Amino acid sequence: MTFDRVDVVLEIVKIAVVVGLLLNVVPIMVWVERRGSALIQDRLGPNRVGPFGLIQSMADALKFILKEDVIPLQAHKWLYTLAPMFGLIPALTTIAVVPWGRPFFIPTEIVYGPRVSGVCLIGAAVLAILAIALGGATAKYHRKPNYSKLNFTIGVIVAVSLFLGALALIGVMLGIKTAGAVHLPGGGRLFEPIIADLNVGILLIFALASLGVYGIVTAGWSSANKFSLFGGIRASAQMISYELSLALAAVSALMVAGSLRLTDIVGRQTGYFVLFDTVKIPAWNCFSPAMWLSMIVFIVSAFAETNRLPFDFAEAEAELVAGYHTEYSSMKFAMFFMSEYIAMTTMSALVVTLFFGGWDVPWYNEPPTVTGFLLSAISFLAKVGFLLFVFVWVRWTIPRLKYDILMKIGWKVFLPLAVANIVLVAWFIAMRWI
Amino acid sequence: MIEFAIFFFFAAIAVIFALVVILHRNPVVGALSLVASFFALAVMYVLLDAPFLAALQVIVYAGAIMVLFLFVIMLLNLQHGSEPATRPVQQFLGYAGSAFFGLALVYYLVKYTVLQLPPGPFLSDARAIGVTLFEAYIFPFEMVSILLLAAIVGALLLSGRGARPEVAR
Amino acid sequence: MIPTSWFLILSAILFTIGVCGFLTRKNGITMFMCVELMVNAVNLTFLAYARQFHQLHGLIFVFFVMAIAAAEAAVGLAIFISLFHHRETIDVDEANLMRW
Repeated sequence: MTFDRVDVVLEIVKIAVVVGLLLNVVPIMVWVERRGSALIQDRLGPNRVGPFGLIQSMADALKFILKEDVIPLQAHKWLYTLAPMFGLIPALTTIAVVPWGRPFFIPTEIVYGPRVSGVCLIGAAVLAILAIALGGATAKYHRKPNYSKLNFTIGVIVAVSLFLGALALIGVMLGIKTAGAVHLPGGGRLFEPIIADLNVGILLIFALASLGVYGIVTAGWSSANKFSLFGGIRASAQMISYELSLALAAVSALMVAGSLRLTDIVGRQTGYFVLFDTVKIPAWNCFSPAMWLSMIVFIVSAFAETNRLPFDFAEAEAELVAGYHTEYSSMKFAMFFMSEYIAMTTMSALVVTLFFGGWDVPWYNEPPTVTGFLLSAISFLAKVGFLLFVFVWVRWTIPRLKYDILMKIGWKVFLPLAVANIVLVAWFIAMRWI
Repeated sequence: MIEFAIFFFFAAIAVIFALVVILHRNPVVGALSLVASFFALAVMYVLLDAPFLAALQVIVYAGAIMVLFLFVIMLLNLQHGSEPATRPVQQFLGYAGSAFFGLALVYYLVKYTVLQLPPGPFLSDARAIGVTLFEAYIFPFEMVSILLLAAIVGALLLSGRGARPEVAR
Repeated sequence: MIPTSWFLILSAILFTIGVCGFLTRKNGITMFMCVELMVNAVNLTFLAYARQFHQLHGLIFVFFVMAIAAAEAAVGLAIFISLFHHRETIDVDEANLMRW
């Protein structure tokens, strides 16, 4: 395998984009979770900081950073400090093998024209409107008698940076206009929107996901607290059990695609099949009857694997105070929070890739150009966003199960169902129905 | 060469964490170090053109077996119990014997293995492994599945309620 | 390409560490972990030779070793739990009922 400087730069750009998006998912999801729970429970939720309380998460993050970092006296200091990292690193790295857009050929040069100016001007206008709205809200907030300086400062900083972004976009447009046409260094080569296109992609995901349990177990043990230990032990038993049904449910999608590579799995789901000579249905796995069982098993196991309600026994508040992170404070606690939301995002991305066609836009054949790539990436993000909302939705509508019921469902219902579905899919493949 | 850098880095990690396993007194730290060592070995498998087995290594060893170890250590609450010291003679003999053994092994490996790697990439993807496994090795494969079943039954029998001694009342 | 003998040397070092731990430690579970370390060192050798001779059989053997290690871990840990229930310790010197 040979690669040159452009490949390295492209790879770094991909990693920066994906990790940046993943890290930004966390504050957005915290906001969605709080506002969503308020919506479901008929409350208001946080609505003070910024418009609709959008900047609340930033204030929270700042608070986490500024809080005192407490290490319990009895705790195993090294492991106590390392545990949040054990949790966060697998969550952050798993996304590397998930494709997030249509591969496209990078154009050799950008010629100034209505399309370029249109994109830049619309982008600048959106950013400017956001900046003005936020600035106005912040100014209004400033006139209130009991305003907090911190929130005000955050509002000003975000508004100014949005405004600077708009200015930068206009600057880019003017730069292209004066140059006439910009020659791109990596022009002509195929840009694959995936960090690492491995031939064992799905196995790598399961391998890294199985490492996520160490963060929780180590945290639970090293805190030297009974509740933490119980949370850690419960979590490890639960995650090991559900990993099995998760992997077995994914096997049926792999069998249909005939490959462990996630790009192949998505590639098989592009296009559509015609039902009754009239209805065009996208060829996503979720529309094929052989997959329904495994899809349900996979999604429910994904909830258990990410320790979300109705399966959040690792931190069941009513029973275990806060479970494995009872003793944690400050940024270490925030890191557990981050790893939970990032793991949720990765799981949603995986569900989308395996069952909802990945980046495929339904009823549309994306061309291998920048436009096709952008449309497919937006489609992927929209699907992942919807699934993330489902995670929140389920959390605030379904109560927590009992622990023995959870284990019983995992071993006695989901595992046999997943195995049965593999047989079903194999039969479908043998009869050439799929 | 980036390949050599990766090799030495992860080889160092594997050896250092393996040493932690045998030198550290706390079994929880030992188990976690062993996970790190196994992870470094998975990187070695990738360098040996066997990414499929590297993934299996992490899933089976790090994801299942070592979690089981940690689980048992935590359940039995072993970290506080102090391990009785081995007799000095025994300790010395252990270290000296294994050091001699290791040095001899490395000496002969350095002296006698002059292996020229064949050209071309080594194809070991999941498909090739699957075909070999289900054609040439189908009988051992079935035997292993029976073995796993026997292990499940045995583990249940050993750790289940029936095996506990009657507590004197 | 990294020469095969380097992997063999690494494997030899890891195997030696495993042997050393097995001989000097008394905690049953730590000894068990040392056995796992030795098994892994052997796996590395299998894979190194598989690449050396472009043979898939080495990979298949590693696959079997992993399956057997899983079975061994399940039974072995069950034995240690059982031992702990009987003796309240997993020091291997305490389990001396069958010793002559």
